[in-house]
Amino acid sequence: MNMNVVIVEDDEWLAEHYIRVLKRAGCRVEHAPHAVGAIAVIDKVQPAVILLDMLLTGTTAMALLHELQSHADLASIPVVLITNLAEQIQLDDVEQYGVVRIVNKATMQPDDIVAAVRGAVL
Amino acid sequence: MSLRGERYQGSGASTSVSAIGVAAHELKSPLVLLRQLSIELSDMSLSQAERQRIADQMKHISERGLRLTSDLTRLESQLELFSVEPVNPLDVVRDVRSELSGLYMAKGRELRVARVRHLPPVIANRDLLRRIVLNFADNALHYSHVDGMVELQAQLLNERSIVRLSVRDYGPYISSKEWRVLSGTLKHVKAAHQRPQSSGLGIYIAHEFASHMNGSIGATRHQNGASFYVDLPVSHQLALV
Repeated sequence: MNMNVVIVEDDEWLAEHYIRVLKRAGCRVEHAPHAVGAIAVIDKVQPAVILLDMLLTGTTAMALLHELQSHADLASIPVVLITNLAEQIQLDDVEQYGVVRIVNKATMQPDDIVAAVRGAVL
Repeated sequence: MSLRGERYQGSGASTSVSAIGVAAHELKSPLVLLRQLSIELSDMSLSQAERQRIADQMKHISERGLRLTSDLTRLESQLELFSVEPVNPLDVVRDVRSELSGLYMAKGRELRVARVRHLPPVIANRDLLRRIVLNFADNALHYSHVDGMVELQAQLLNERSIVRLSVRDYGPYISSKEWRVLSGTLKHVKAAHQRPQSSGLGIYIAHEFASHMNGSIGATRHQNGASFYVDLPVSHQLALV
């Protein structure tokens, strides 16, 4: 997969894991640990997909999703939510914010991350 | 463990969960990470150094989870069993630094003890006080900048009647909105007892432990981060001796 991916995940070690998995799949990956810094990274990289943790420390993922929608050039970037709350979030409720997939952190396999990213750009 | 209240309030999830639910959620994060890393560890293409790094991470994650379960066990048991006595606050601060230095190093950060000449003993339970500062220092790790520093500070206040142990992080600026949520959580932490989903579990635990020792907890916002602190009464009895 020859594409740029931005991971917004506040747990560094989990982010490291995603980065290893996606790099193995051929992606170029940038990481933002907080929603506040994420916009700058996304703006710079213009990724094909954003991998977003739902429960971020500080500014929330929802605030970031709103912010993305307010930028014409960023609003169309597909977002994959990767979360412990997958059972409580319906895709229908977040589709309007550019979310195209929800991955359950508790049950996912490394291949699921790659599949979600691949599926997001189809 | 999340100490800042917005973690639950800002989740967007309108669930009504019990205290057990909050604890379960807090434990879910380290378990999820352990699971992912264990899957990764089975990848035979990893180098020995990568394997060692992942194994070290798994050890630190397990220890964090165990600290949380130990705190919850203490809350569930009779706090009265934890008697108070004169405790040297600087010994507690050094204990915390010693216990967390490996985790900090693994995360590329430094936990430093600010230089203090002398402090009188406080009336406390050494184990509960250590747990409070551990909670704060663990939380600060998540808010400090990468390659950043967290400082354990101690000072004498209120005409030498109170000792304040603070954990100062140098993380991103906390917006007014976020600060209002956090301040509300600290002020109404009693309410969190009934509705723990509206508060960080760490704040609740620290509050309960501090209250048992006639102390209190609080937080201060800085231009570049925040300080979480616990105030405890000085032991005048020992000071007279």
